[in-house]
Amino acid sequence: MDPEPNNKTASGTGNPKDESTLKAPSKDPKKKDDKKEEDLSEEDLALKHQLELYVERAQDADPGLQKVALESMRQEIRTSTSSMTSVPKPLKFLRPHYGTLKSYYETMADSDLKKLLSDILSVLALTMSAEGDRESLKYRLLGSEGDIGSWGHEYVRNLAGEIAQEYSKRVNEEASVDDLIELVEQIVAFHMKHNAEPEAVDLLMEVEFLDLLVKHVDKTNYKRTCLYLTSSARYLPGPDDMSVLDIAYTIYKQFEEYPSALQIALYLDNMQHVKQVFTSCPDLLRKKQFCYILARQGLSFELDEEMCADDEDREALQEIINNTKLSEGYLTLARDIEVMEPKSPEDIYKAHLLDGRASAGASVDSARQNLAATFVNAFVNAGFGQDKLMTVTSEASSGGSSNWLFKNKDHGKASAAASLGMIDLWDVDTGLAQLDKYFHSNDNHVMAGALLGVGIVNCGIKNDCDPALALLADYLDKEDSSIRIGAITGLGLAYAGTQNEQIRDKLTPILGDPKAPLDVIAFTAIALGLVYVGSCNEEVAQAIIFALMDRSESDLGEPLTRLLPLGLGLLYLGKQDNVEATAEVSKTFNEKIRKYCDMTLLSCAYAGTGNVLKVQHFLGQCAQHFEKGETFQGPAVLGIAMVAMAEELGLDMAIRSLEHLLQYGEQNIRKTVPLALGLLCISNPKVHVMDTLSRLSHDADSEVAMAAVLSLGLIGAGTNNARIAGMLRNLSSYYYKEASLLFCVRIAQGFVHMGKGLLTLAPYHSERFLLSPTALAGLVVLLHACLDMKAIILGKYHYVMYFVVLAMQPRMLLTVNENLKPLSVPVRVGQAVDVVGQAGRPKTITGFQTHSTPVLLAAGDRAELATEKYVPLSPILEGFVILKENPDYREEA
Amino acid sequence: MPTVSVKWQKELYPAVEIDTTQSPYVFKCQLYDLTGVPPERQKIMVKGGILKDDSDWSKLGLKEGQKLMMVGTADVIAKAPEKGPVFMEDLPEEEQVVAVGHSAGLFNLGNTCYMNSTMQCLHSVPELKSALTEYPQSGRSNDLDQSSHLLTVATRDLFNELDKNVKPVAPMQFWMVLRKKYPQFGQLHNGSFMQQDAEECWTQILYTLSQALRSPSTSANLDTVKELFGIDLVSRVHCAESGEESMETETVYSLKCHISHEVNHLHEGLKHGLKSELEKASPSLGRSAVYLKDSRINGLPKYLTIQFVRFFWKRESNQKAKILRKVDYPLELDIFDLCSDDLRKNLEAPRQMLRDEDGRKAGLKLKQKNTSSVDSDVKMSDAEGPSTGSGESSKATLGEAVASDKNVQLTGVYDLVAVLTHKGRSADSGHYVAWVKQENGKWIQFDDDNPIPQREEDITKLSGGGDWHMAYICMYKARTIPM
Repeated sequence: MDPEPNNKTASGTGNPKDESTLKAPSKDPKKKDDKKEEDLSEEDLALKHQLELYVERAQDADPGLQKVALESMRQEIRTSTSSMTSVPKPLKFLRPHYGTLKSYYETMADSDLKKLLSDILSVLALTMSAEGDRESLKYRLLGSEGDIGSWGHEYVRNLAGEIAQEYSKRVNEEASVDDLIELVEQIVAFHMKHNAEPEAVDLLMEVEFLDLLVKHVDKTNYKRTCLYLTSSARYLPGPDDMSVLDIAYTIYKQFEEYPSALQIALYLDNMQHVKQVFTSCPDLLRKKQFCYILARQGLSFELDEEMCADDEDREALQEIINNTKLSEGYLTLARDIEVMEPKSPEDIYKAHLLDGRASAGASVDSARQNLAATFVNAFVNAGFGQDKLMTVTSEASSGGSSNWLFKNKDHGKASAAASLGMIDLWDVDTGLAQLDKYFHSNDNHVMAGALLGVGIVNCGIKNDCDPALALLADYLDKEDSSIRIGAITGLGLAYAGTQNEQIRDKLTPILGDPKAPLDVIAFTAIALGLVYVGSCNEEVAQAIIFALMDRSESDLGEPLTRLLPLGLGLLYLGKQDNVEATAEVSKTFNEKIRKYCDMTLLSCAYAGTGNVLKVQHFLGQCAQHFEKGETFQGPAVLGIAMVAMAEELGLDMAIRSLEHLLQYGEQNIRKTVPLALGLLCISNPKVHVMDTLSRLSHDADSEVAMAAVLSLGLIGAGTNNARIAGMLRNLSSYYYKEASLLFCVRIAQGFVHMGKGLLTLAPYHSERFLLSPTALAGLVVLLHACLDMKAIILGKYHYVMYFVVLAMQPRMLLTVNENLKPLSVPVRVGQAVDVVGQAGRPKTITGFQTHSTPVLLAAGDRAELATEKYVPLSPILEGFVILKENPDYREEA
Repeated sequence: MPTVSVKWQKELYPAVEIDTTQSPYVFKCQLYDLTGVPPERQKIMVKGGILKDDSDWSKLGLKEGQKLMMVGTADVIAKAPEKGPVFMEDLPEEEQVVAVGHSAGLFNLGNTCYMNSTMQCLHSVPELKSALTEYPQSGRSNDLDQSSHLLTVATRDLFNELDKNVKPVAPMQFWMVLRKKYPQFGQLHNGSFMQQDAEECWTQILYTLSQALRSPSTSANLDTVKELFGIDLVSRVHCAESGEESMETETVYSLKCHISHEVNHLHEGLKHGLKSELEKASPSLGRSAVYLKDSRINGLPKYLTIQFVRFFWKRESNQKAKILRKVDYPLELDIFDLCSDDLRKNLEAPRQMLRDEDGRKAGLKLKQKNTSSVDSDVKMSDAEGPSTGSGESSKATLGEAVASDKNVQLTGVYDLVAVLTHKGRSADSGHYVAWVKQENGKWIQFDDDNPIPQREEDITKLSGGGDWHMAYICMYKARTIPM
């Protein structure tokens, strides 16, 4: 706004409008423009003359008269009210005199009067000063420094804006900012008192003085403040975001909102903070809730005496962290929803719905289709402990046909044996008993599968006896490489994220073993990457780097070699700058893998950060066109998804960018784009992504089609989404002749009906705030394996599919009472609404339905208790939530 | 003696005493008593590994009340079956055919879709196949010219190839021999072979085969092709002018379905096709006069071939133009009313039996239901007709084979088994495709090298009226009844 030149017309237009609404609404306002002042009402005219008089008096020689004039002027300004859209009348009438007053001010000698005038000028500058002049601030600083709020909200906001500008200018000039900070303090106090927390936070962020906030929050506004802080942290460049979250953590802790504090601590991956939460909270029940939160994050965490003094209590808490009750809770949900009945692959394929197109029940088994059935059976019945293929005893199965295991061919038997682990997921006792008999098999593939199964069944569960390590350790040095891979991968899955040193000591020597075949080395690197995910452990990094350097030129061209850089990358998952040293080293690698390694490391390190610069970097890499097949663009495309999946806005932008890549990219990019889309919308079937993938699933290039089909499965994973299920069914008849594509379709069908619709693969949880590193790592391994579908998934390493187990979690809300027994209460489940920066107590969900717990939560859903009888111990109703009886509750008469 | 608790599966055995002076094997025997798991199958988790039979207790650092975990079952060890399953991927290719459920496609060798679709249709006649297998390599009659012989041999070989393969077959040999025998198919246009009329190809191949498969040794009448496809017609030729009338008999290999403005359905077209006008010299008038020829069917074939006369020579554009008119055809065709009186008499009995049989099937329901619903039952039996009937006819051909044809009677009812369609605006352009019903009752669209499964409903949608594939030649198979 530049009011000086069109001063008169501005006042002119403002004027008659007021008049016309008051007196003569029928008259054309345009005519009034010419008449100007004459049209003022008598009151206004009086006010105008009055103010003109004050201005004149203010320049009077008599200080007494001056003072009276100035004070009256101030009085007029302060008491004036105005609507939101128009300038208050006193200000408007004083506008023409701003210049006069300003010049008079310069001539005045220092005195209280001068300060008084300065205050008035500061307010007048609100509408008068040219942009960038910051006169309001200037006169404010020269003024009497009185109560800032007395001049009104608009004035304060304007001032805040000017401070931000002035601050950055002064910082550039390295001038002192003390006077500004003083003012900031006043403004922040004012904002915080008047429900304008976002403005206060914004100002403090501008002047880099967030610590000030802690002083001003109170019980009424800390929630809104922290909500604003945490959500704005997503859009801040590092390391600002960390400091912002630190403040939020401090505030939460101060107000004993421990679960939220814990969540921030987990986001920051700051174990010190986590410990503090435990030590500062005295309540055992709340600590149990903390343990549930830790367990969901998939964090390995040892409680010590400081955190919980009582041994027995500590054991109980540790048990929750160890996830030992996950299986029980999941089965409670399944029983409540009545899906305990096992499902066979045919129940999923639903071939009867395809009119006559499906080939007639072939009399001969196809090994590939049986393998697909094995996977579908494993995914669909995951965690239920019963199925119709593997756990049925051979005499019970109709026809007395031999065990399903032996209906698989060679390496297929490995996946079949391992599927037992998936079926008994999280139920270690039963699972190990089921797998035990296969340990005595003389078939190497069956053995390998049983070993892998041990890893799967233990995934995310910790046990003091360490059965996985005890069982698998003996097989690490066996002759047969499939057995070794089974044991190594099993360890990786069972101990993902634990940073278990015993495992490191056992696995690192394999990397250096010159006799070990490439596939063993590749899976060792992945297992180590999983165990030490996001740890930046240098020793492990060294071992993998050496293993990479030792590879011969021909090895580097092998499809499985891609797992080595990935294992290295996983060590730095989400750790941003920490990767730099290793990335530097990777520049010395053989040319064949250098670029690939660079992309993989970068994408892992910035995974889940939403760093826009990195997304642009990856997009830039993808923009290049190569004559011959370059492989590094695959991880670059995946990198876009991995980085951008952090928050919704960036995610939508990434989806659009990927559409462009689809248009202009070469084949090696096009075949990765579906996978990237799959990761972005994992277990979250967005309709437009579904359509894109559906289109690509008919692509002429079979690799693109395969990736798209699998991704359809990924975006619908565990949702039972009817639309995707229908699409896949049609694809199964469309591709009935093409064994490879049909295999992918079957796997995707298994994904969609994963856990009969009770599971999710989304690595984000707790209202999309926290990212489980192990879950993401599992997904990334699978997607990297999909970069060369033919050699890995369709070859003999199909068991990489089981890496999704790391991301599998029940998508439930299970409320438990104080004894941790399931407790059914009514809850409202609806679409989550973003309430950041909204005043008052806005509704957090929309379009809700009332259910009683346990309930399923879809992507983007949020639950809230529909009863006052209980109080949840966690503000976020997801997973296990402990309910406490509300002491203030009164039964309605 | 420390006591520990042992966890096995879901059970917990508290207070198991360990005699640390004895070897762990003794402890395992203790657990054997509790759990029934033989010691050699027990795996007991202790710190850093599995308890070995000869480990030293003192080094394991057992604590009083420590929880141990034991894994192991007394279950029978899963044994691999003696004979592993056979997987489709391991089978030789010819055996995969059975699993796939249809025979192979044919590669297009450059505008040879007319030939491919013709061969796919003929390939679906098992009797023709078996007759060809008996055809000797050396040639059986001397009066057959060499090229006809070669074509017959090539046909036999091609049919064999189709049965053996899952992947598409390239009919190179056949194509060369066909061109040799019928040079018109070798016409070139701009350096490539021209598209030809599938009907012409069909007729010529059948003609050659009928020549070759006529067995001279036994009886002169035994002509396989004629028996399978030949339709005996008896025609009354009548001249309105002179009142002359004569009877003629002839054998054709296909009925024509003439398409005019009144024709909406195959039946009407066939009626038109059996009536024709011809001009010939009248002996009584001493000049040429218009004769009306009215034909009736006097002998039914096993396979009734119907040609839709969709192409006519358009003089102004100098090309064969196509009639796009929609002409419906049924999956089940009854040509009783096109038959001559003699034949009708012969057909009465078998037709009655067929009706009886249908009736019997519906009869079950009749008894259960009220008499008022007779109408609906009749409809029901109609609806059931095609499906059960087709099942029978295919079974009959499979089981009883060709030789026993004396025992079966034709009924005048036919089931659709193959459709050759054309897509495009003229006979010499566009695309020919064969739609063939397989022995398992499924329909396959043979689009050159690409066999695509189709639904039966969609087969009747090829009746024309647009630019989609439309039926050009239909092949019906007789429904028979054993006598």
